[in-house]
Amino acid sequence: MFRSRMNEVLGLNRRNQEYVRPYNHPKAKALADNKIATKKLLAREGIQTSEVYKLIKNRKQLAFLDWESLPKSFVIKPNQGTGGNGILVLYGRKKGELAWIRPGGEVLSKKDLTLHIENILEGRFSMGERSDIAIIEERVRTDSFLKQYSYKGVPDLRIICFNLVPIMAMIRIPTRRSNGTANLHSGAICTGIDIGTGITTYSMHMNNKSFLSDTYEMIDSTQDLKINKKLSGVQIPNWDKILDIAVRCQKASKLGYVGVDIALDADKGPIVFELNARPGLGIQVANQAGLRWRLEKIKGLSVKSIKHGIRVAKNLFGGEVEDSIEAISGRKVININEKITLYYKSYKEGSKNDNKDREITTAFVDTGMITSRISRSYASRSGYFETMRQFDFLKCPKEFPTFKDAQDYIDEYSKNSQPDGHIIRLAKIFEDGQIVVRPVIIIKIKVSGEVLDLEMIVTEDTTHSVILGRNDLKDYLIDTSKTFK
Amino acid sequence: MTYTPFTQWMITTGVPQQVLELLLAVMIVATIVSIARYIIGSKTYGIYAPIILAIAYSYTGLKYGLAITLIVILTTLLSYTILRKVRMHYIARIAVNYCLLSIMLVVFFIVVERFGLGLENMTNISGLAVISIAALSDFFIKQYVKKSFKSSVLVLLGTVTVAALGWFIITRDAVSEYFLNNLWIVPLLIVFNILIGQFAGLRVKDLFRFKSISQNKDNVQK
Repeated sequence: MFRSRMNEVLGLNRRNQEYVRPYNHPKAKALADNKIATKKLLAREGIQTSEVYKLIKNRKQLAFLDWESLPKSFVIKPNQGTGGNGILVLYGRKKGELAWIRPGGEVLSKKDLTLHIENILEGRFSMGERSDIAIIEERVRTDSFLKQYSYKGVPDLRIICFNLVPIMAMIRIPTRRSNGTANLHSGAICTGIDIGTGITTYSMHMNNKSFLSDTYEMIDSTQDLKINKKLSGVQIPNWDKILDIAVRCQKASKLGYVGVDIALDADKGPIVFELNARPGLGIQVANQAGLRWRLEKIKGLSVKSIKHGIRVAKNLFGGEVEDSIEAISGRKVININEKITLYYKSYKEGSKNDNKDREITTAFVDTGMITSRISRSYASRSGYFETMRQFDFLKCPKEFPTFKDAQDYIDEYSKNSQPDGHIIRLAKIFEDGQIVVRPVIIIKIKVSGEVLDLEMIVTEDTTHSVILGRNDLKDYLIDTSKTFK
Repeated sequence: MTYTPFTQWMITTGVPQQVLELLLAVMIVATIVSIARYIIGSKTYGIYAPIILAIAYSYTGLKYGLAITLIVILTTLLSYTILRKVRMHYIARIAVNYCLLSIMLVVFFIVVERFGLGLENMTNISGLAVISIAALSDFFIKQYVKKSFKSSVLVLLGTVTVAALGWFIITRDAVSEYFLNNLWIVPLLIVFNILIGQFAGLRVKDLFRFKSISQNKDNVQK
């Protein structure tokens, strides 16, 4: 149990080896690490980001900065900062002075801000030792609904996208302990979100007492607000729009595996904060689900459009809240024309020349049929030639006027015949506008890695050698994107 | 001590034995760091810090090494806390920190000489080793400033633990002798590290981190 669930979890090694490195090109990564470049790119795609008031590239520009021209509240951040370091939020300006107030009430003078910007320019908060650019930008005003859950700062949604499919989502909520930042390590709350509905699921924060890093504690309501609120079952507003923006960001950034950070502004709606080329793994704890199996399901899937990607995500990963998860998430995705392995009658597991006893063919997935079908020539080839002859000896009428007549014939047959041979029963079907009776045999096939014994009706030869019907499709989701390939 | 012909040849062909031993130690500790990072998941200040620390410890002895480490970190913390109140540039701050550190180390030597503190014969300690340990200060502060105090202390603990382990292994005479006589292990170490480099499984730390997911039974997939 422990083992198998752990196999679904994505660890740091695998994230780097199999997702970040192969899917995120260095150029794309450099773009995500650069907030200004990201903003420019997203603006071209028509995606909203927070408005930039001023860019300060060097000390000279800092010296000539017109502080009076800045709005009352703004945010100073390093262009290439990591983990939310070096971000200074200023709530308002002190009347008549060149001084600004932080969320905690602390007053910072122009001199303090200058020093902070100098530190940013020196690259103190940035990756590596490079010098950096300071961004002075608009402060996001939190959506009034989400505001009631957070302490001062801005809650921030993180959506991990892979292959144009939103894989997993969470919201990080600032707390008093985190000092109004949405940083998990400083004590912000992290709540999982059901991809299907945008409803929150599990919540956790980092354990305060334990000194070991990265140990989480599950909670179910906010911890240090005046009125604490229940965290699960909350509907995130604009959910579909948020998913759409997240996937569009991925498409624009060319990052194969990306964490998109989105905030909800009271006036502007969803605003993209930043793109993360190496999104953290704590999101798995907040969702109580592993990323690995989700990513593996999506790998190699051909996603045709943003809408399609979101639909796939909702079908596969949604529903933790309302529907029973077993019913949905255990399913595999198959195509309309799915490659299958057809095992012949002579096939025995483990036999030496088992390659001769099977062939690979394409099955057509037809939800309009109940029982699966196989064409007569394929059945014969699979070793049921004699069985077909046996059926011919029955001298079954070529067609029946009504289904009732056909049923009578079948009843008669099953009364008189001993269960021998490979015909397990007869079935009445509609073929070429006629009601006919056909034999049903058991055929062994392999569909997406799983070997199944399926009851199949042997039909006259048609365009499809094997048709999979509803009876055998319960465990699959059908990907229709490759229908006309 | 007798060496294999190959090792003997190396030593007589201009490779100082001490350098050879040191280089072997570097490779061993580097491998330990890579195991610690990718199999266990313990973070260190890069790879250089634990290597240099392990080698420094091998010169000072573990007890003295740890004592100096402690002094270095405490002084760094002290100077950082004081300097935080002064608004100044980053590099200048670090420079002041190094000055204070040097003073404190001198004081420490005097105190040990006077009062013993269970640490005798400090005078024989190699100065280079002491400076190597003092370099920890920079790593510590950088992590503190860029991440947080907690994370810096945790990484420090990781670094010192890995370095101590490295110290233990490279100071075993049997180990260094074996390596000197079996230099074919060197390419093996490379292969081993390449294998670690391919490892995609969960780190030991990940197992603890994501324990709750595997224990949560009401959302079992499949």
